Amino acid sequence: MSESLGDAPRKLGLDAWDQRYAALRQAGLSEPEYGGPLGRHVFERGDLRLRHLEFDNSAAALRLWNFLLTENERLRQARTRGEKIVGTMKDLGTVPVMAYALPRVRAFYPDGAWWTPCLMECSDGLLQQADLQGIDGSFCPVRALLPAFETEAHFPQPDWLVCSTGAVCDDFTAIAQRLERLGHPICWWEMPRRRSPDPGEPACTLPGGGLAPAVQVQWVRDELERVRAGLSGLVGQPLTDEQLRDGIREANRVRRLLGALREAAHGAPSAPLPALELLVAEMLTLHFCSDRDETVAVLAELLVEVQTRCAQGHAVLAANAVRVYWVNPVADLRVLNRLEEWGGRVCGSDYMFTHALDLIPETLPPLEALARTALADPMVGPTADRAERIVAECRAWGAEALVVARIPGASHCAREGAIIREEVRAKVGLPTIDLEIPPVCDAMLPTLDSRLQALLEAARARRST
Amino acid sequence: MISAGIDAGSRSIKVVLFDTEQACLVASGIVDQGVEQQRLAEALFERCLAQAQLERAAVGACVATGYGRNAIAFADTAITEITCHARGVYHGAPDARAIVEIGGQDSKVILIETGGRVRDFSMNDRCAAGSGRFLEVVAGRLGIALAAFGELSRASRTPALISSMCVVFAETEIIGLLADGQAPADIAAGVQAAIAARVAALAGRKLMAPILFTGGVALVPGMASALEQALAQPVRVAPEPLLTGAIGAALLAAERRRATSPPTADR
Repeated sequence: MSESLGDAPRKLGLDAWDQRYAALRQAGLSEPEYGGPLGRHVFERGDLRLRHLEFDNSAAALRLWNFLLTENERLRQARTRGEKIVGTMKDLGTVPVMAYALPRVRAFYPDGAWWTPCLMECSDGLLQQADLQGIDGSFCPVRALLPAFETEAHFPQPDWLVCSTGAVCDDFTAIAQRLERLGHPICWWEMPRRRSPDPGEPACTLPGGGLAPAVQVQWVRDELERVRAGLSGLVGQPLTDEQLRDGIREANRVRRLLGALREAAHGAPSAPLPALELLVAEMLTLHFCSDRDETVAVLAELLVEVQTRCAQGHAVLAANAVRVYWVNPVADLRVLNRLEEWGGRVCGSDYMFTHALDLIPETLPPLEALARTALADPMVGPTADRAERIVAECRAWGAEALVVARIPGASHCAREGAIIREEVRAKVGLPTIDLEIPPVCDAMLPTLDSRLQALLEAARARRST
Repeated sequence: MISAGIDAGSRSIKVVLFDTEQACLVASGIVDQGVEQQRLAEALFERCLAQAQLERAAVGACVATGYGRNAIAFADTAITEITCHARGVYHGAPDARAIVEIGGQDSKVILIETGGRVRDFSMNDRCAAGSGRFLEVVAGRLGIALAAFGELSRASRTPALISSMCVVFAETEIIGLLADGQAPADIAAGVQAAIAARVAALAGRKLMAPILFTGGVALVPGMASALEQALAQPVRVAPEPLLTGAIGAALLAAERRRATSPPTADR
């Protein structure tokens, strides 16, 4: 679409995008029902942060952002239609595959509420209200979900809540327990901490190539069997293996599309898509932004845009941009813009849910396949395993530098950043930094800029020798 | 060629003029930082020019660095202090493999490799407990000038244990220590040890030697040995530690100029 209007790929601020939107409409842009100018999300929903971001100028990117930013409306519409809504927490990518296998069921992550204060520049008051509920800033920003449940100003009350526990961070467990105490019953299922199989112990291969003891896979499978029973009870009909197989195939459609998108974008000599859009695209795999079919359509359009740009030799960033591997999502999306402004590009990423990008085995019994996928979660095993995958991807994507982002209060692993940086430094020899990024980073921009610039300078200096 | 380096740090602005043919400083100056960074830097730059009896046109390239680098409009470009310190240290100590830089408001550990390239770095710019600001606060509380702080610490027999990880709470702790009759010299030495411990934590593991110490805090007597104790490794104070960043900036300015200039007959 962007090429048809004679516009080369570039990044636009919100005002410029809204002008472009008018031009696109005049040129015949057709949109889904959630379409519209990006600026409306600021005025109608208070997503103030959008004013400070730069977006890709393609119609595919517009659709992606509109899809992301209208999820709560989608959930409310589903509720009006009498569909069941499952609030799934923590597991990142597994339970939604089961939920969407059922007709008229949608699943979403209430813990995704941690983005709300970031997008709304804290004007929503969620973090302040969480403070008053005794869950203060020393906890993970996921605490925003507590008042979101109380006010219902963001997402509708789920019909059923399911949450993984065990090998998850203490913060999250504490917040979810508080939620239950506030009168929101939760179906808990336990995720063991993944370990390497002992010598001679029966083991299973996980998506992504790791190994786990068969006994752990069986454990998770049994736990997911309980989740299946809960979902079946919710809709009053059994969730069959056949439905699960179909659900896995559909989830894999999304994952294949995303895999192709990552391959095309990261593999291109010059970046065909900015980092922000790639981050949002990855997030769609978690719970399909509450509409699995539309997720497929959104990703497919984005993939076509990227492939077209690559074929035409078009890029959105300078050809000599430093290739940076990025670890963990950013609380303030603005930082990814800044990286690009200073001459970097994201050429690979681990946003804490790489297991949700891997294909779910389709030849195994469905719960076995899902159990293995859940156990491949980088956050339930040793950080060294995660670091190993990051090292492999740094090599594969030709990364020249590494950033480990941190979120204040998030304590999934106090040593995580140091371990990953040491591994990457030792095995790939890349310069690395860690960045602590609060929900609104404006006051910290000078120091964040210094770190990013220094990293890019170090990477560029290495090119010349 | 004469190149200029401007280091607009958090506490002071440093300017150097460097003769790249002779490989030596021809002028340098330091002035306290202020709101009007650009004007302060420019006035200092002019003073340095006068000191070297040079016209502005004689300066072939200029790079700004430091926390206020982007405010120095007359510089050709801005480069971070990480890169500039690495370059500045490499000039004076080409064998250096690690740099500890403690400035007025932050601290850094920079790993460098052959050729003076930055291999990796860690930075503390979120907490004053590992910076020169801690020294200032405590010197103020003890009622002595910062310049005398280091000398005072040398008189310590038993450095006080400062347990707090935060300057604000450490100040409270120091009030308590003074009330208990702890000697100011022991408190001064304790604070130096606390800063050194923070920096050692930033380093994270054994650093490759030689380790060079730069930044304004390197000039405080006793800090280098506090750092040596915390790192359990020898530490050398860099030549002209306060000017290292500015020297690196001047050297990088010259290198950039050479890289972008068209070749001439005499080259």
